[in-house]
Amino acid sequence: MADTMTAHVRIFRSDPSSGEPDRYDEFEVTGAATMRVLDVLRSVYEHDCHDLAFQYACRIGRCGTCGVQVNGKPVLACQERAIAEMTVEPLSPFPVVRDLVIDRTEVEEHYVELDLAPQRSAPHAGVIDPVEPERGRAISILGSCIGCMICVSACPAVQDRPFDGPAFMLQLRRLADLPADQGPRLEQAIEHGMLECFGCDACTQLCPADLSPADAIRGFRSEVLLGRRRGGRRKENSNGN
Amino acid sequence: MTAAHIEIDQVTTDVLIAGTGGAGMRAAIEARRAGVDVTVLAKGPVRATHTRMSGGRFNAMSGQNPTDNHDIFFEDTLRGGSQLNNRRLARILVEEAMDRAYDLESWGLVWERKESDRYLLAGSGGGTQLRMLGSFDEGIGITEVMLHVMRGMGTHVAENHMLVDIVFDDAGAVTGALALDVRAGRWKFFQAGAVIVATGGTSQLYETNSGPALNTGDGIALAYRAGAELVDIEFMQFIPISFVFPPSIRGYTLTEPPFYGTRHLDINGEPGHLLNTNGERFILRHDPVRREGGTRDVLARAIMLEILEGRGTPEGGVWLKPDPAVAPHFQRERPLYTKRILENYGERAARFEEAFQVMPSALYTTGGIRIDPWGHTTVPGLYAAGEAAGGVHGANRLGASSMPDIQVFGRRAGLTAAAECRERHGDAGQGLRWARSRAEALEGPLTRDSGGGPAELKRRLQNLTTTEVGLVRSAAGLQGARETLERYRAEELPKLRTHGSTRVLNREWMETIELENMIDVLGAMTAAALARTETRGAHYRQDFPDRDDDEWLANLYVRRVAGADKAEKRPLVQLAASASEVV
Repeated sequence: MADTMTAHVRIFRSDPSSGEPDRYDEFEVTGAATMRVLDVLRSVYEHDCHDLAFQYACRIGRCGTCGVQVNGKPVLACQERAIAEMTVEPLSPFPVVRDLVIDRTEVEEHYVELDLAPQRSAPHAGVIDPVEPERGRAISILGSCIGCMICVSACPAVQDRPFDGPAFMLQLRRLADLPADQGPRLEQAIEHGMLECFGCDACTQLCPADLSPADAIRGFRSEVLLGRRRGGRRKENSNGN
Repeated sequence: MTAAHIEIDQVTTDVLIAGTGGAGMRAAIEARRAGVDVTVLAKGPVRATHTRMSGGRFNAMSGQNPTDNHDIFFEDTLRGGSQLNNRRLARILVEEAMDRAYDLESWGLVWERKESDRYLLAGSGGGTQLRMLGSFDEGIGITEVMLHVMRGMGTHVAENHMLVDIVFDDAGAVTGALALDVRAGRWKFFQAGAVIVATGGTSQLYETNSGPALNTGDGIALAYRAGAELVDIEFMQFIPISFVFPPSIRGYTLTEPPFYGTRHLDINGEPGHLLNTNGERFILRHDPVRREGGTRDVLARAIMLEILEGRGTPEGGVWLKPDPAVAPHFQRERPLYTKRILENYGERAARFEEAFQVMPSALYTTGGIRIDPWGHTTVPGLYAAGEAAGGVHGANRLGASSMPDIQVFGRRAGLTAAAECRERHGDAGQGLRWARSRAEALEGPLTRDSGGGPAELKRRLQNLTTTEVGLVRSAAGLQGARETLERYRAEELPKLRTHGSTRVLNREWMETIELENMIDVLGAMTAAALARTETRGAHYRQDFPDRDDDEWLANLYVRRVAGADKAEKRPLVQLAASASEVV
């Protein structure tokens, strides 16, 4: 495979602990046609910029730790194809630890606050918890959220309004659908800003795990408008019992 | 800089756990339940773990396959492990796996089912029965539900904290551990009565690997330096089929050939076919009965030999020909894999309408720190669980048996550590002094003005491991590797430096510490591989190509004695004559 593409990449550099002003450094990476953005960053680190701070672990879109902005768009560096002209910056609106690495302390605190362990009415009996197969599957699909914060970064409501963000609503939706969970998930969703969502779908369009936080939010909204449908999928309980 | 100038923060906890994969989190949950104070260190972000990357398949005796039972599962495990498994550990795995699967269910994981109260059971490579549970969200779902439970119980979680060494007092008692807070660039001495190593494996030793970039064998290395024995460390499991290109994903697992044929849902069905560039189904020469449905060791070796003998593709793989009739099942059950195949190999491959390239890749450190059934290592106060520990799987692990392993033995280590952490009171002042001198030595790379960075040495080390201590081994190659390692240790490690002097998230600094760990683990692995003069499981010696049950139905234990790696052969660990191990 001939690979002649050269990527010109501008990388945001920042070290808040040093007092130095933020800046952009520019690099060229050859042979970039088959690379993902992460490959470009690794190449820059190994060859040109040994003190670059960036983060990754799995390379395959599962650990959710390599989120960055490429030309202003929040993406996972390991999944996004490299292009010829790129500006790479840390995910906004999070505080920066150094260069491309954000401080997720507040994100993790949100998860803890939401109390996302199932609240069961009785302990698990040591036999299979009955769940309809299709419903179980829908719950597991929501369970594949990688927590990368791409959707939170992309969400205009998060910037302007008291809204935790789409990823957290998706986790609450997962529990609202889980038969064993008795937690007040709708109330939590409202309390954490669900009604502030503009319905723009940016979260769903950019989700690297192909999930739809927007649908999760719509599920909660229809509960608010039409009444609770605990335990049911939309079609089964559309009469709002 | 003298030792007095090194700043070390002191933190006190009852149980210190390193690792936030399945084993570490399971240990934390159990120790918290017992009411003790628990601190868990994640080397990177809390989700950056091998469990997270796993397909999350889980062998367990659900009772829903009437033809299966505990004895068959046990026999499959021993046969898969080429009979080297620690019988006590393997039996516990078999008996407790389902309870741990229920734990995950109680925390909100939904195992895939065919009816509301019937699990969907599938067959894995090397298993003779349909006994494998799975969920759509795979290792992501497993780690996520555990994370929420662990955090909800008030466990202290310290992200970006790399465990560096176990700390002893002058009398040799464990007083805690030294860690580097990589994010702040600060040293921390965690004073603790019990330290659990659950840091995962060492797949980063290999050029082509399927693990997370952080899994450099740190915990195995530091336990080994602390005097712990390793067992079965010569057995590195390669997943037989992984992506060949593009570069970013090379080495990432494609699981096993049975998924690509009817054998996945019918234990007598046909697995996906492996073909060399002559179009020959070469596995028939190696394993004519089980074919591509055999154990990972045999499959990986067969593929590697095809490649080494020139019947592989220019890109370095062989062909996997899937069964198009199975594609709808695969897409439904393994959508995350379908997505990867689609993105990297294209639509026809994702529909199983054309063959695609596959290659073996380093996946799982089968051996590791020697543990007893309760997670004790050979060093009092030091415990281990999960991929960092060894013995459960013998010479080769069955597909879908790592998930139950890390749950079962993670829980056991957590229980034990919680019960024993307050019995021990090492001298913290002496421990701090020891930690300080160790930290001072590790500041070296930050202050040197000349020398190379770690990336180049890491690449050479990975090349050495792949070539000489990989799927194909020989006495000459292993001996050469030993000498090279000694040179790295004596001449190259002490000269490494970081190019930038920042302490905050200094990746090169972390990598220099990793390199010492990688060299230590590889030293032990090489010693054991040299000692085992036969071929068994994942260990293939070109100069001893046959299995030798007269000599080698035995385990190798490796210990560091006066700076040298000493491998010792001992009899297999048999089941206790009486009562069940299960609690």
